[in-house]
Amino acid sequence: MAHEGLFQELKVVVGEEYVVHAPEDLVVFEYDGSVDKALPLAVVLPATTEQVSGVVKIARSHGVPIVPRGAGTGLSGGAIAAKGGIVVALTRMTRILEIDPVNRLAVVEPGVVNLELSMATAKYGLFFAPDPSSQKACTIGGNVAENSGGPHCLAYGVTTNHVLGMEVVLADGSVAWVGGRTRETPGYDLRGILIGSEGTLAITTKAVVRLVKLPEAVKTLLAIYPRLNDASAAVSDIIASGIVPAAIEMMDDLAIQAAEAAVHAGYPADAGAVLLVEVDGLKESVEVESALVEEVCRRHNPMEIRTAEDAAQRERLWAGRKGALGALGRLAPNYYLIDGTIPRTKLVEVMARIKEISAEAGLPIANVLHAGDGNLHPCILFDERKPGDTERTLEIGGRILKLCVDVGGVLTGEHGIGVEKQEYMPFMFTEDDMASMARLKLAFATDDAFNPGKVFPKGASCVDISQMKAVARAGAGAFV
Amino acid sequence: MTTQISAYTVDGKTPHTVLRPSTTEDLRSMMAAASADKLAVVPWGGGTKMALGNPPERYDAALDLQGLGRIVSHNPADLTATVEAGITIAALQDALTKRGQFVALGAPLADRATVGGTLAVGTAGPLKWQYGSPRDVVIGMTVVQADGKATKSGGQVVKNVSGYDMARLHVGGLGTLGVIAQVSFKLTPLPAREATLLSGFASMPQAMAAALAVFHGGAVPLALTTFDDDAARRMAMPGSDAWRVAVEMGGRPLSLERQVKECEAALRAHGAARVDRLDAPDPKMSGLWRKLTDFGWDQPTRPTVSARVSLVPSKSSEFLEALEHVPGERAVVSHPAHGTVLVHWYGTADDAAAKALSTTREVAVRLGGSAVFERCPVALKASLDVWGDARDSLAVMRRMKEQYDPGRLLNPGRFVGGI
Ligand SMILES: Cc1cc2nc3c(=O)[nH]c(=O)nc-3n(C[C@H](O)[C@H](O)[C@H](O)COP(=O)(O)OP(=O)(O)OC[C@H]3O[C@@H](n4cnc5c(N)ncnc54)[C@H](O)[C@@H]3O)c2cc1C
Repeated sequence: MAHEGLFQELKVVVGEEYVVHAPEDLVVFEYDGSVDKALPLAVVLPATTEQVSGVVKIARSHGVPIVPRGAGTGLSGGAIAAKGGIVVALTRMTRILEIDPVNRLAVVEPGVVNLELSMATAKYGLFFAPDPSSQKACTIGGNVAENSGGPHCLAYGVTTNHVLGMEVVLADGSVAWVGGRTRETPGYDLRGILIGSEGTLAITTKAVVRLVKLPEAVKTLLAIYPRLNDASAAVSDIIASGIVPAAIEMMDDLAIQAAEAAVHAGYPADAGAVLLVEVDGLKESVEVESALVEEVCRRHNPMEIRTAEDAAQRERLWAGRKGALGALGRLAPNYYLIDGTIPRTKLVEVMARIKEISAEAGLPIANVLHAGDGNLHPCILFDERKPGDTERTLEIGGRILKLCVDVGGVLTGEHGIGVEKQEYMPFMFTEDDMASMARLKLAFATDDAFNPGKVFPKGASCVDISQMKAVARAGAGAFV
Repeated sequence: MTTQISAYTVDGKTPHTVLRPSTTEDLRSMMAAASADKLAVVPWGGGTKMALGNPPERYDAALDLQGLGRIVSHNPADLTATVEAGITIAALQDALTKRGQFVALGAPLADRATVGGTLAVGTAGPLKWQYGSPRDVVIGMTVVQADGKATKSGGQVVKNVSGYDMARLHVGGLGTLGVIAQVSFKLTPLPAREATLLSGFASMPQAMAAALAVFHGGAVPLALTTFDDDAARRMAMPGSDAWRVAVEMGGRPLSLERQVKECEAALRAHGAARVDRLDAPDPKMSGLWRKLTDFGWDQPTRPTVSARVSLVPSKSSEFLEALEHVPGERAVVSHPAHGTVLVHWYGTADDAAAKALSTTREVAVRLGGSAVFERCPVALKASLDVWGDARDSLAVMRRMKEQYDPGRLLNPGRFVGGI
């Protein structure tokens, strides 16, 4: 075989069984070629920073691309081997190296699963705040690469606000620290540059993360509205009222119908929108703020309001919202999930436009939203077996993102550009803006070895809709 | 403007010209012209922190950005605002306060310090620390590059991962990779009420232990600062406690009262000799925090040399104990929740100052931290790097400079490693 020499060298570094290259074995990583167009030469599973460094050096000496990969739950194609090469899966590096409750930080390897970190720190009354809906499966390394958010990032912030430093392997195989355990370190904020760089500049091999106090009180409120507009207006009013809830989530009629059929949350059949608001913090402020939130919600003529005081009740209120994505399969064989963000004051306008776009194109769109931070997830429902459906879906996806940008919003709130949205970058950025970004690759001297062919437009559409696999990898109970 | 050119002196070097753009477009064309003429340019905000940095290699033109002082947009219902870089922190906060909001960004001498300068320095002040560092409140930025091109990144929404997060290069980059022209911020509603507890302690370890207890307690302080009696005297505060702890808290009435109660109990349990309460809008409260923020930068408290030390919070006491034997007159202000310790020396001769600074850095590094010398006589700057050591990431940082400012026009030599 052409690459036998490469495989042999890799095996010396990570061990025989941790270099996977037989096509039938690559299937385990779902690189089966049927959806993801590019097959990697091999998947390599290093166990230590030294091994990652060794693997990078070998790949570079053979001139093959390197694609870092965590759990593979990314929704923009970040872990696809777009230009072949080797996939470096960090899923064996799963140790929590240190929990320092006094200084409220933890040091972890990149393969640690998001939720497992918070579970490990709970006994100290602390947690890792970024909580992507895929948190039962996604890794801290993936979170860092995507600068992931989650339903509760409205109050807590996203990954970059919670990572103090990283150990990284650079494209020449050298190991460097960016940031550290302290809040300030000398020099440029390379930490902040690498977070959200989608695995194109360096491989994270350790992360120092901040831990946050678990809130002493949480109160959840669910308001059901006859019309989407009422719910959207309530969201804008809550934000404008000077309260920053921990989460404001929303879903529209189609998402409600799907969720209702799947999880029987007890939503009225004619509900136009469900709004979920969670307030947390000190119990005295939670009391007052949840009452204020309820008052604002009532002003917009809800059909019904439900509240939860304990964890079990809370789970019940969240069940419908969390079940929506999984339930979409009841409505159509395929869905395509969009991830734009808009200013929160534009919710009513944009949601109305999305309904129009859906009607014009004749494809239903179910909407789930992290409404509190203006992050929309319209899900276009289609059937890939129907001729033209896929093309139309992609076309609508582009139109929705253009709409988001036109009202002052952005292309992606949390899922990243990847290969999915690279051709849309010019909606937001000029040639000069993108040229300036691309210089980072030169500064990190990557020679475009890390995750090539992503983030920046190539001038040719290569969008493919492989999200359903990522969702499957996120496991039962994952939502968006 | 009537400002003399000598007012733009940096580390003894005076420029030939002062450029004063009043729009981003002006700034763009001035930078393009400066670039064509290969002029070394020092961007200038309020000029409050020009003492910071290694001496400039070359210095032809000061680029005074105070003419870029507009609020481009404030969208109160969306908790976002976009401003030009030359607006002062005070002017911005005043405008936001009118709508019950603030941006978690503070600076010494806030009525002179500009948004651009504050971000370029990038360090957090004592206030509102729980909302993060300056880098955490920026959601979008327009930068004018060394070649005069304007580029933007981010946006005006609070959640965004579209493209690389370029603003990170400029927050804390000391204007060495581009000139910050416009910034979009994420805003926060002002707390309904605020109160401060000021307490006195007989010793440093007691005060630091009390501060850590507050950090770990039930209250969620908005600011947590400890300072020694020397600092108190320089701020003309009454009393003679060896160390003091100031805690600011905020919230709705009931939650504020509970926080104050718990905080006071923690302070007393750690030996507070007295605990005084100040409530907003008492000018004494805002005055206390203004003095603490300005310490070391306003005229009466300006030291000969000073170090900004960054540690993990638990190491502050050990650090200060190790500094005890260093001779010289000094004052200390620290923000234990950040792990920041600010050490200031007064009236120190150069050789003693050099010794004090090098010991400070040695101890900080030994404890896993770092030290930036925020104020340092020019003569001493020749023999040290005021920033310390960026270690294994310095090579990447140097290449950043090569990429974004190949002609070394922006603040040449002033950043870490002589970047
Ligand atoms: C059901 C579902 C719900 C989701 N909900 C959310 C949500 O609420 N918020 C959100 O932000 N995202 C969400 N996502 C997207 C995804 O889960 C996140 O982007 C997650 O952080 C990816 O982690 P991962 O370990 O699966 O990374 P992967 O998918 O394996 O990789 C993602 C990217 O990171 C790079 N990468 C991975 N590890 C490293 C490393 N160690 N060093 C360098 N680069 C690396 C890869 O090259 C790739 O570009 C959701 C996805 C699904 C399927």
